Amino acid sequence: MKRLVITAGAYLGCIGAVLIAAEATGARWFEDVTKKAGINARHGNRVFDNPYAKIMAGYTALGASASVADYDGDGFDDVFVTDSKLGGKNHLYHNNGNMTFTDVAESAGVANANDDKNAVADSLWFDFNNDGRPDLLVVRFGHNQLYQNMGNGKFKDVSHAAGIDGYKNAITAIAFDYDRDGKLDLFVGSYFQPINIFNPETPRFFPESFETANNGGGVTVYHNNGNGTFTDVTDKTGLRLSGWTLDLGHADADNDGWDDLYVAADFGTDRFFHNNGNGTFTDITETAIGIDSKKGMNVDWGDFDNDGLLDIYVTNITDDYMREGNFLWHNNGNLTFSDVSRETNSFETGWGWGAKFFDYDNDGWLDLYVTNGWVSAGKDSYVPDIFNMVTKPGIDFADARNWPPMGNKSLSGYEKKKLFHNEHGQLFKDQAARHGVDSQKDGRGVAIADFDNDGRLDMFVANASGEPNLYRNTMPAGAHWVQFALQGTKSNRTAIGAQVRLTAGGSTRLQFISGGNSFAGQSSNRVHFGLGDVAKIDQIEVRWPNGEKEVFTGIAVDKLQKIVEGSSKRK
Amino acid sequence: MNYRNRVFLTAVLTALPLLIVTPAFAADDEFEKAEQALASKDYKTAIPILEKLVEADPDSSRNASEYRQAILRQSIAGHPKEGAVLDFDKEISFFEKQAAAHPNSSNIYLHYGFAYVDKIAAAGSITQVILANTALTQFTKSLELKPTWIGLYTRGNSYLYWPRIFGRTSLGVSDLERAYAMQKAEPKKSFHVRVYISLGDGYWKSDNIDKAVAVWREGVTQFPNSQPLKDRLSRQGEDLRAYIDNVLDPGRRVDTDLRELWGQP
Repeated sequence: MKRLVITAGAYLGCIGAVLIAAEATGARWFEDVTKKAGINARHGNRVFDNPYAKIMAGYTALGASASVADYDGDGFDDVFVTDSKLGGKNHLYHNNGNMTFTDVAESAGVANANDDKNAVADSLWFDFNNDGRPDLLVVRFGHNQLYQNMGNGKFKDVSHAAGIDGYKNAITAIAFDYDRDGKLDLFVGSYFQPINIFNPETPRFFPESFETANNGGGVTVYHNNGNGTFTDVTDKTGLRLSGWTLDLGHADADNDGWDDLYVAADFGTDRFFHNNGNGTFTDITETAIGIDSKKGMNVDWGDFDNDGLLDIYVTNITDDYMREGNFLWHNNGNLTFSDVSRETNSFETGWGWGAKFFDYDNDGWLDLYVTNGWVSAGKDSYVPDIFNMVTKPGIDFADARNWPPMGNKSLSGYEKKKLFHNEHGQLFKDQAARHGVDSQKDGRGVAIADFDNDGRLDMFVANASGEPNLYRNTMPAGAHWVQFALQGTKSNRTAIGAQVRLTAGGSTRLQFISGGNSFAGQSSNRVHFGLGDVAKIDQIEVRWPNGEKEVFTGIAVDKLQKIVEGSSKRK
Repeated sequence: MNYRNRVFLTAVLTALPLLIVTPAFAADDEFEKAEQALASKDYKTAIPILEKLVEADPDSSRNASEYRQAILRQSIAGHPKEGAVLDFDKEISFFEKQAAAHPNSSNIYLHYGFAYVDKIAAAGSITQVILANTALTQFTKSLELKPTWIGLYTRGNSYLYWPRIFGRTSLGVSDLERAYAMQKAEPKKSFHVRVYISLGDGYWKSDNIDKAVAVWREGVTQFPNSQPLKDRLSRQGEDLRAYIDNVLDPGRRVDTDLRELWGQP
């Protein structure tokens, strides 16, 4: 644990008296306002209609996701929530500004996405045409949809014109400017290989191995041409893969100004790619994180120990029958990482799904919310069935016919979500039960945003085959905070990839803007710093996505501040 | 799941009587040569010698155990932490051939099972289960050929590490009860304490707390200095549950160096 050197200064350890008092009382700091907010539409899993439907039902309980952006620029973050059942509507919840939401998906033209040839798996807001309005990508098993935000509450389907609608069994997507040309590029991760899973021509489309499968959908990289179109540059970038991708996460691991890429894969090895700064990536998995055979589900980056380097949290499967454990990859600063999940108590979270770093108590340390749970159904367990299969000699796992139907059985179901409070970068302490956020639903994604603009971060949790949860943060006032909305001018307009280093109270902390990191959840792209009892910020340094740095001073606390690239007095 | 280490430890502790009753090889020049090579980490010399010794005397548990340990040490020396899968595949292949050549050797099947167990730590989580299951198959063959105390104890103890959902605890208890009956009919040996510990654990995992405590207490009367038995008897409720869950945690690693059996460093 000594390597987790705490470099943040005293101010981070000095939480305001009010906070301390509230902590001592054990008061609940989150309120479930899902129904009250009108944001409680239930997600439905896709039920397939093909010869393998009964088997597939157990392995496609996916597609519940939530993506946050202020799509109409009214100063309040909105949220897009997906459904997956046949005919199921997606929801664009417009934030009314009073912690209630109105579903405007139909009128906006983004509700329809689930038909007999497509099932929604995820979504992503990204401003592909750099006009300052977040556009919307709907990620599907089938053909992805790209909706251009027209700025009048309407969206236009430009999928085909953009060239991103080829058949894929896509499950995740992120956007960042990997080549620093000022435009957001698109990275799509696919689970199954690009066969028509709605009507498969072969039964051999399941993972060929539980640990080294290479018959999955891999990654597709779309370079943004800047004219509304994209070009598939997967091979050119060196990112041609064939694993069962579940999540992608980007950030600058070595602070060289170029964002690197972590690929979490189910049934096989996660991959780490270093951005060479010339439009290509190099696979440095062996030296960076080593070769694993786990079930990578989630990638989120954050500097949990405030040492100025971005760390990575990856969920895997940890149950009594499969004890993989999560990864908390501590960034060693030399493009190598050390797993400190056991030491920090973030190792075991059940069948992990989306997880997100955020500072829920504004104490200056990134906490962590982890969703989990695969299928919560009947009292009988599916575990013996699956292990009866895997222990059959010479069995062909790729053949779907060999997999037992799950029926109404449960597998790692009814698991309690985790809200890990960060104890000064040394330890994570689960506070989910205390704060009432330990739901046992089958969680998939979590999106973090300050929906009511009160300086306290709220959580939206997307659950498979169930209602979501909107948790409003009601922590007692007292701890200071500051938020930044960055706008690029030379860099991409939403400043995806920008790093912000805030100095206050004698120490400096790092946050960055991600383009959709974390499984099935996209959080607000505002940069949020909890400040504890520190009421004065010395300065912030913004390193824009194009590599240029600016320093800003005279920043007030407890406010949302807009920062435009090139607007500082000194650089 | 570290069935490897647990079963290995079982082997270490329970192979002792066989080793005691088969001391002839201790004087074997070739064996000594192999041991010297192992001491200097000269695996390339030691392993072929041990292979020949196993081939020549398939019923020697000592030779087979030392061969497996040589493979294990060599693998870990080359691949720190858990060794390399390919090394253990060679080990499995070797015992597969021995089993074919000596189909009536209970000892060979026992170590054939151990060979699968040896690989577990180097494998992924699902493969670990497959390997552990295959190991049990070989242990069963060994017992079918000759129902030995070590075979029963090894298989019975292995069953205890499977999660309850697999329903194998009762099988483990059954094996351990048979091992218990065997040792009751023999003069007391120091390693018999292991059956008291494991059988009690099996009862505990079957939610039969009274029988667990009874067998642990009986064990203490026979082996009053046994710390594992004292540890169990000093705990109750959640404290005891946490203790045994920790002991039987499939992810827990145990030092299984067999050299200790021979009193070597």
